[in-house]
Amino acid sequence: MIEVCAADAIPAGEGIRVDGDVPVAVFNSGGTLYAIDDTCTHQDASLADGWVEECAVECPLHASCFDLRTGQASGPPARKPVRTHRVVVADGIVYVELSSDPAAVPTAGSLVPS
Amino acid sequence: MTTAAARPASLLPTLPGRFYADPALFALEQERIFETQWLAVARTADLAGPGAFQTAGAGRESVVLVRGRDGVLRAFLNVCRHRGARLCEQPAGQVARTLQCPYHAWTYALDGRLAAAPNLSRMDDIDRAAYGLVPVHLTEWLGYAWICLAASPPDFAAAVQAAVAERLGGDGAIDAWSLGTLAVGRRVTYDVRANWKLIIENFMECYHCATIHPELTEVIPEFAGGYAAQYYTGYGAAFGDDVQGFTVDGTGGFPALGGLGADRDRRYYAVTVRPQVFINLVSDHVIFHRMTPVAADRTIVDCDWLYAPSVIAGGADIGQSAELFHRVNQQDFAACERCQPGMSSRLYAGGGVLVPSEHHIAGFHAWVTEALGDAVT
Repeated sequence: MIEVCAADAIPAGEGIRVDGDVPVAVFNSGGTLYAIDDTCTHQDASLADGWVEECAVECPLHASCFDLRTGQASGPPARKPVRTHRVVVADGIVYVELSSDPAAVPTAGSLVPS
Repeated sequence: MTTAAARPASLLPTLPGRFYADPALFALEQERIFETQWLAVARTADLAGPGAFQTAGAGRESVVLVRGRDGVLRAFLNVCRHRGARLCEQPAGQVARTLQCPYHAWTYALDGRLAAAPNLSRMDDIDRAAYGLVPVHLTEWLGYAWICLAASPPDFAAAVQAAVAERLGGDGAIDAWSLGTLAVGRRVTYDVRANWKLIIENFMECYHCATIHPELTEVIPEFAGGYAAQYYTGYGAAFGDDVQGFTVDGTGGFPALGGLGADRDRRYYAVTVRPQVFINLVSDHVIFHRMTPVAADRTIVDCDWLYAPSVIAGGADIGQSAELFHRVNQQDFAACERCQPGMSSRLYAGGGVLVPSEHHIAGFHAWVTEALGDAVT
């Protein structure tokens, strides 16, 4: 489990990025917290910088949409899903339990030396 | 060419012809006048909601004005911080949340901050404010957005508001017309093939009125005398006795704007705000010109006819009202275009002359040459 932040630190409609080997974003959509991989599967961009509307996040670069509940790419140009992660809130602290699935890698991102 | 020694006292010299035709002098004016002074560039009501944007030329720069999600109107250089691509090509439009460069998708929030860019999260040493859009000073007045490219702009009250107050004869005198609340009834953009100074000089004098403005001179007979309202301070030129309103045929206009006293009724006031605004005020509407010089011999003029919102919302016919100054504009700009080729004539190398009813234009010339400084001495 990764400790993220205080539960009230993410306002509704906002998200924050959690750095790591595979960065994760935690969003507050209508009072419910969701965690997905932070990197858009179309091009390397932080989804936490995007916009949350109705259980979806829109990538700030090319407006790809991902369903926060399933991780599915719900709007182009992204086609591959992001992973979803389990969110746990305990004693006012947000934790994320990372998925054991392999993470998708953006095509453009894979060309960038890390 | 007239030498100072030979010139009669009735005549003052104009600027030499090259001031109106030389591209190098024009570039200097862009740098030292239009990139240092306050410029009215947009009607703020045209940028009503978050994400509404317009682009404007200011000197040699392109500027984008955009209203933020916080409701604040801001101006930025219309250039991407990354590789210098022009951000917004359209003259006006609407974005949802960001201004995005079409080249590499550097994406700016409406407050200018760099919101996203490809691979940005791998470059965590980039300060998103420091690499945001470069802001341009913006002030709202009279319902217009005024911008200034100077690092330290001239004091707005002293540079702009005082010019209006001086012409109308008092601080806040223009508030009686409540320009900020008026509605645009008509807007015409004129592409004038003439130097911007010819347009200002024309606007400042009325020596030409009886010759080229028959309709205007019918409405304001004293203009046939050749003295423009701007020749005096606080003076409004009177309508003719048999004229009902400021219309192309002298028929009645609309009720006087709410804040105006009876002393302003049936009078015409004209103000020049250097370097690019003309304001014409009558009791029932206001005509607001904004100039954008684009070359030594070409100037774009945007002209708004502003009426009480009730007049426009009620669908009143403003045709006869707006037509009067539209005709005046066409007549004036044709005259300016008639002069432009002569600016390059050998005859005009030393300039022309100003008659007494034009002598106040020498003050404008002194202002221009002072702004250009030692480059033109």
